Amino acid sequence: MNVTLTEQDILRYSRHIILPEIGGRGQKRIKAASVLLAGLGAAGSAAALYLAAAGVGRLTLWDPARLIEDDLVRSIAHTRSHLGLSRAASAREKLVAINPDAVVTASEAPDALPGLVEGHQVVVATCGDWMALQRAVVNAGAAAVFAGVRGAYGAALAYRPGTPCLGCLPPEERGEAGLMPEGREDAVAAAADVVGVTAATEALKLILDIGNPLTGRLWRYDGWAATFRETRVARRPDCPLCGGKDA
Amino acid sequence: MMNACFTPEEQERLARASVLLVGCGGLGSSVAYALAAAGVGRIGLCDMDRVDLSNLQRQVLHHTVDVGRPKVESAREKLLALRPGTRIELHPVALTSENALELFRQYDVVLDGSDNFATRYLVNDACVLAGRPQVHGSIFRFDGQVTTFVPGHGPCYRCIYPTPPPPGSVPSCAEAGVIGVLPGFIGSLMAMEALKLITGRGDTLIGRLLIYSALDMDVSEVQVRRNPDCPICGDHPTIHELIDYEQFCGGAGR
Repeated sequence: MNVTLTEQDILRYSRHIILPEIGGRGQKRIKAASVLLAGLGAAGSAAALYLAAAGVGRLTLWDPARLIEDDLVRSIAHTRSHLGLSRAASAREKLVAINPDAVVTASEAPDALPGLVEGHQVVVATCGDWMALQRAVVNAGAAAVFAGVRGAYGAALAYRPGTPCLGCLPPEERGEAGLMPEGREDAVAAAADVVGVTAATEALKLILDIGNPLTGRLWRYDGWAATFRETRVARRPDCPLCGGKDA
Repeated sequence: MMNACFTPEEQERLARASVLLVGCGGLGSSVAYALAAAGVGRIGLCDMDRVDLSNLQRQVLHHTVDVGRPKVESAREKLLALRPGTRIELHPVALTSENALELFRQYDVVLDGSDNFATRYLVNDACVLAGRPQVHGSIFRFDGQVTTFVPGHGPCYRCIYPTPPPPGSVPSCAEAGVIGVLPGFIGSLMAMEALKLITGRGDTLIGRLLIYSALDMDVSEVQVRRNPDCPICGDHPTIHELIDYEQFCGGAGR
């Protein structure tokens, strides 16, 4: 890894560096990392803010949707003055303000998505065509976190090569859990932030290779009940997306 | 702005509600964004600190240009940019036994995002004495806790933690470190609790303490009960006014 921490970095990330599980070495890994955020809506907004703050060196934001008033009740990476911009461009301004050292690129071309995966270490997917994304992630040997939120209910699943992918999960199970890309449905910002921060946490754990990631674990959150549930996901040898591919 | 997740009546309740955030740091950042986005009408911010470069790894209310500014001013700017109609009230003072009761009585709900034991006990006692519901959150390295205390309904902080830890036995965030995403998770859960207290919808964490591990991505729940012998909320309370909390915590609550 060809990155070094500047004196400013050491001050800014001192609360990370002091943690034995991260340290200076881990912070360099975060700085060297590249994350693609597919979706800057409800959950994606929170994920993006926290990944930029954590010091991820390169962030690519994809979201062609125009920022509208309704977004502002559920997604915290945007401001009113950005109405009419793409959500990718709007969030980019906020992320750069939080962390000017991050290289943040906004992509708003609707069909750019699976093609953007190449060259990124982790994909945080909250919008877009998830099956196409998962396929591209498998082909690129990247890692991913899929996270969805509706109302105050959310779900997430992490993937890295060799673990169960989104295609291994039966569609009815995925639907029942609410693990689906975000549309224009409403979400409670607080619950969306729980889900988005969970995705950011998992992305950092995958970058740092620490802790027990949500790979093979379908995670669910019910904000109104304040309960969390988890079900195991097994790898399917006949999976149309990852079947036959070994890590 | 309407949010289809809430009924018009619930939105009205949110618009009329007032919430006080004790601390505009890591927990306060995520709480404040979520409450403003949900349309909470009046948000009080109590914090006397200025933004430090080492805050920015987790305190997403503050931008790099804000380093050196009072946190409450930086916070107000971001919240108004998201939700211009919100009434943001700034209290750039240290919370003390002298000012806490009067301050808390101005708000419907108090959210404790403080970072030291002296303030936690002060917030708790003031909430009990003022009859205000309190959402409590705390963070440490990769772990966090969150619960809701409503006077007369379930335990208070003292029922669970009757005595503070010995001075110096628990290191601060500066000494022990904290992963930046952690206050985002705990603060967002706290905000959700506030929304439930205000709207009356869902099940709050009264009597339930959530214990979170970011490394395991696991949340466990512990049932917590009111202590009839609690000196502040028990059957025969012995504390009737706020005390000296620095002394109570051994002078090293920070």
